[in-house]
Amino acid sequence: MNQAEIRKLIPALRVAMTPKKRRFSNPRGPEGRLFKMRTTVNELIKNERMEVNYNRADEARGYAERLISEAIRYGDCHRPTMELADFWLPEKQNVHKLFKVLVPRFKDSEISYTRVHKAPHVYPSTLFDKVVLELRGNPFPPLEKLTTKRNWIHNILLEEAHREYLEKKYKQEGEEEEEVQ
Amino acid sequence: MLSAVPRRIFHTFFRKPPAQRVTAKVPPYIRDQLDSNTDNEQPLPHDFRTVYPEFLPDPRPEWRNRLRERLERNDMLTRRSVVAIPEFYIGSIMAVTVGDRNASDKTNRFVGICISRGGTGLRAWFNLRNVIDHQGLEIMYEMYSPLIRNIEVLRLEKRLDEELLYLRDALPEYSTFPLDMEPELLPEGAPVPINDIKVKLKPRPWHERWERKNLQGVQDLGLPQRFYNKAKLHEKPWEKYDLMMEYRATIPEEEQADIFHEIAPHYQQLESSRRQSKRRLAQTSRY
Amino acid sequence: MERWGASMKEIERAISPPHEQKKSKPKEGLTGAKERWTEAMNVVPAILRAARCEGSRLHTSSSLRHIQKQTRLRVVDNSELGKSAMLEGRPPRCIHVYNKKGIGRTGDKVLVAIKGQKKQAILTGCHQDQFPLMPKFDSNNIVLVDENGSPLGTRIHVPIPTFLRKKLTEMSRPKGVDYTKILAIATRFV
Repeated sequence: MNQAEIRKLIPALRVAMTPKKRRFSNPRGPEGRLFKMRTTVNELIKNERMEVNYNRADEARGYAERLISEAIRYGDCHRPTMELADFWLPEKQNVHKLFKVLVPRFKDSEISYTRVHKAPHVYPSTLFDKVVLELRGNPFPPLEKLTTKRNWIHNILLEEAHREYLEKKYKQEGEEEEEVQ
Repeated sequence: MLSAVPRRIFHTFFRKPPAQRVTAKVPPYIRDQLDSNTDNEQPLPHDFRTVYPEFLPDPRPEWRNRLRERLERNDMLTRRSVVAIPEFYIGSIMAVTVGDRNASDKTNRFVGICISRGGTGLRAWFNLRNVIDHQGLEIMYEMYSPLIRNIEVLRLEKRLDEELLYLRDALPEYSTFPLDMEPELLPEGAPVPINDIKVKLKPRPWHERWERKNLQGVQDLGLPQRFYNKAKLHEKPWEKYDLMMEYRATIPEEEQADIFHEIAPHYQQLESSRRQSKRRLAQTSRY
Repeated sequence: MERWGASMKEIERAISPPHEQKKSKPKEGLTGAKERWTEAMNVVPAILRAARCEGSRLHTSSSLRHIQKQTRLRVVDNSELGKSAMLEGRPPRCIHVYNKKGIGRTGDKVLVAIKGQKKQAILTGCHQDQFPLMPKFDSNNIVLVDENGSPLGTRIHVPIPTFLRKKLTEMSRPKGVDYTKILAIATRFV
């Protein structure tokens, strides 16, 4: 009743989730909500990167992570997992991709399988937050800002100072050796 | 139905709802790194969550409080060292002895079949049902109540269903158990038997629409086709694919391992006290 | 606000079996079982909306099983009056509950109408969900008593809760009437 479900052991989700599910009001009701999530997950697995509204991405992210972790845990010879993949990926080439491409890619991973980046609003509305939902390890150019601190002024100065110090030191050691000889 | 229960000081049975709605996201669970030597870590026993389900907290985030859960687990272990609470399942026949001020010899013993169980932590409860003198009656017991003197499992078995509330609408013979029933013991290490009995229900009206519940443990209900048609309309076949709904109702594996790691020092004692109480029961039944 | 006529139509449409309803065009890409799913989702919200309509008699919450005025009760003692009423198939009806709330619980005194007479009775078992350690019975049981608190029957063959020992002594104290005579005729305590 208010005890936790114990029939199945599920590994922890690697992304944050909302405490309650989002409704996504739909003429088909709760069934339609799941079909909507299914479309998003299918698209994500197929194209590995997509731009959607934030709420839809956040909800579908949980389902995508769970689907991939089930596939990793049970593999493709496990009937319930196959039925699950069959439901969640209506395009059958994606089922093949899930088990043959994504499972080997993520099976040794300790972190989440998906990533979400904020995207600019579509003018004129700021009501719908847009995000880019992608799978890690996708073949597209990265969206994160690659921040390197190498070109910061104090790092350059420190590097130069270190180089000068080393030059001076070697010079000194060379002079001492000559004296000894 | 629950609102009909008197709302007095029975905080164990009726909890106040949490003061605030939780809107913050639930962060991913990270394992505790309390002890550096994880080599000595005992693996999670495969039956931990079925034998001790009340040690796992309520998965709903608004009811979670890690400190309270930890303190409760300590109290539960203390209580279990005083009174051995055996392993039982829905469908097991149990006998409970409670201290009762109003009873003639200050104790009261009731034998019945466990029809439902629930609750987490110190609030864990179960319901026993029996038919005595052609009167069906049920009593709810809180497992960690200090009034409970003794809990014995007379017949350890499982049924085909998760809840046996349909026994209220079944013929009385399926809920009748003698009050002086002898304990039936299983050999050590034997798997828990599953009783695949199919119960016959009384004619309608029933307490619930059993045709909508996918019951495995009842005989053919014998209703007109229109009942089954309407039952089909209420079915939600997509729920078995709803991975997040399933996840929100469970405690993740890593957290279960951490909880077990917390009680691991006492686990040996728990298991041995369970075995001891079984042996004691066997001895008393022999004489 | 929906009219009575509109709500009746909705109810009929909701309740009629699927093959009698107008066949709606299934959504593209759905076959077989999935058609049924889409139909299902159009029916259940309609039922709930119909239940909420003014004048609808659809009850969507579970019963509270209160013992109040008009509740039918079961006599469990072996009094002639009780036995004949139960055998006839005309069980006694509660017409008054002797407490401040008007909702009877185990051990409360009630006034019942039985075979055209008014009699007092004590509730010995309730079908309502009880708090822990209190037995919950499959029927609402009463024992008929007279004004002095002495039971009309000589035996109660059905188990009664031990809680009554405390409750009836407490009830008897202020009134000067002895309700504890019921405990003497009981055969089994639970």
